[in-house]
Amino acid sequence: MKVKDLIRLLDAEVLCGEDFLDQEITDCGASDLLSDILAYSKDNYILLTGLTSSQVVRTAELTGAIAIVFVRGKLPPQEAIGLAKSHHIPLLKTDNLMFASCKKIAKELIKEEKNK
Amino acid sequence: MSANYSKEKLTLVNELIYEIKVKEAMSKKVIFFKENVTFREIQLKLKEKKISGVPILNNVKNIIGIVSIDDVITAFDKGYVDNKITDYMSRDVITIPQNISVVSAIHKLERFGVGRLPVTESSDSKRIVGVITLSDILNRLLVVVQSIAEKVEDKEIKNTQISYDLIKRIVKKRLRFEVKGDDFDNAGRVASITKKYFQNLGISKDIIRRIAIVCYEAEMNICLHSLGGSMIIEVDNNNTVIYAHDKGPGIPDVKLALKPGFTTASEKIRALGFGAGMGLPNIKHYADKLEIKSSLETGTELKAIINLGVKNEIK
Repeated sequence: MKVKDLIRLLDAEVLCGEDFLDQEITDCGASDLLSDILAYSKDNYILLTGLTSSQVVRTAELTGAIAIVFVRGKLPPQEAIGLAKSHHIPLLKTDNLMFASCKKIAKELIKEEKNK
Repeated sequence: MSANYSKEKLTLVNELIYEIKVKEAMSKKVIFFKENVTFREIQLKLKEKKISGVPILNNVKNIIGIVSIDDVITAFDKGYVDNKITDYMSRDVITIPQNISVVSAIHKLERFGVGRLPVTESSDSKRIVGVITLSDILNRLLVVVQSIAEKVEDKEIKNTQISYDLIKRIVKKRLRFEVKGDDFDNAGRVASITKKYFQNLGISKDIIRRIAIVCYEAEMNICLHSLGGSMIIEVDNNNTVIYAHDKGPGIPDVKLALKPGFTTASEKIRALGFGAGMGLPNIKHYADKLEIKSSLETGTELKAIINLGVKNEIK
């Protein structure tokens, strides 16, 4: 599954980083605690969160996330979008709740795993 | 092929073409017929296999003739398409021995204006072991170029894995940053710059990630919990050393602060996504060595060491 597939899967809106949607997702970190993300995230993962501070983008950048999805219809502030733009991290926004988003992504990743 | 390309100086390709032997490039699966078939049978095969000609072999696989698509068309034209090929096929066949450079094959293909050459076992044999076309040669050439490219790439990866020169340079020059307390907009900048800096050194991704996270957590600690301070990042003998000093107020119980989940964070800090009591435990987890000295009078001094994974020691 690629980052751009999230648009269809989560009915998501791309806030920035349209040119970087072609990366392959291998893992997903979902948390509203950035320290947890810092502790457990893996490479090529997407970050799902309901937090919208600039620190979310920092955390994503420092841990090598390939995209951030803001769940529950949350809109990050302009500073966060600007920061994401400068680090080439796509930001997506979905009205899905955290659990619903995770469920859909997990289903897709499991399907891919089986087809391997 | 050579007519178009010889004008340009493709030195590497020229050399490679000379080195490639016919037998390396040819297709070993030969579609052939014996001479007891009709032109129509051959025409059907040519259509099915999308090829432009077939060699005619005898019982011991010696070549005795060749039928091309042109021969088939002529047969249609002149009305002998259902006749056996024996009386009509060209017996003057141009072949190429397998142990010769593909350059000769290219020349022959061009000189005689044919699309394929039956390949013989040797120059004095008529036994067919394969067929070669320009696209076979091109395919083989691409495979060889690809393997050369991969070797070069491998070499480059090895070369850039650790850039000793760059590391030597930062051994002398250390990074120093001021970190303000309560300055959430800028928090993370030190980690971000440090990460970029180490990326340029070509250090492994995993180690850079650990450096970045340790810097970030230490930076957030200064920002969230202290009156401000500074950070120094330096490389010393194959290690990255991250110092984070703050002006206080100090940690009353360092052992307790290192316990996962222990936190003194305010609501404001939690709203940012921090304050889960994972900062120091995370640093401890990612650093190879961690020292914390804290005093309620002078503040906290944190020193985290991460091994760079460079085999040779840097002096």
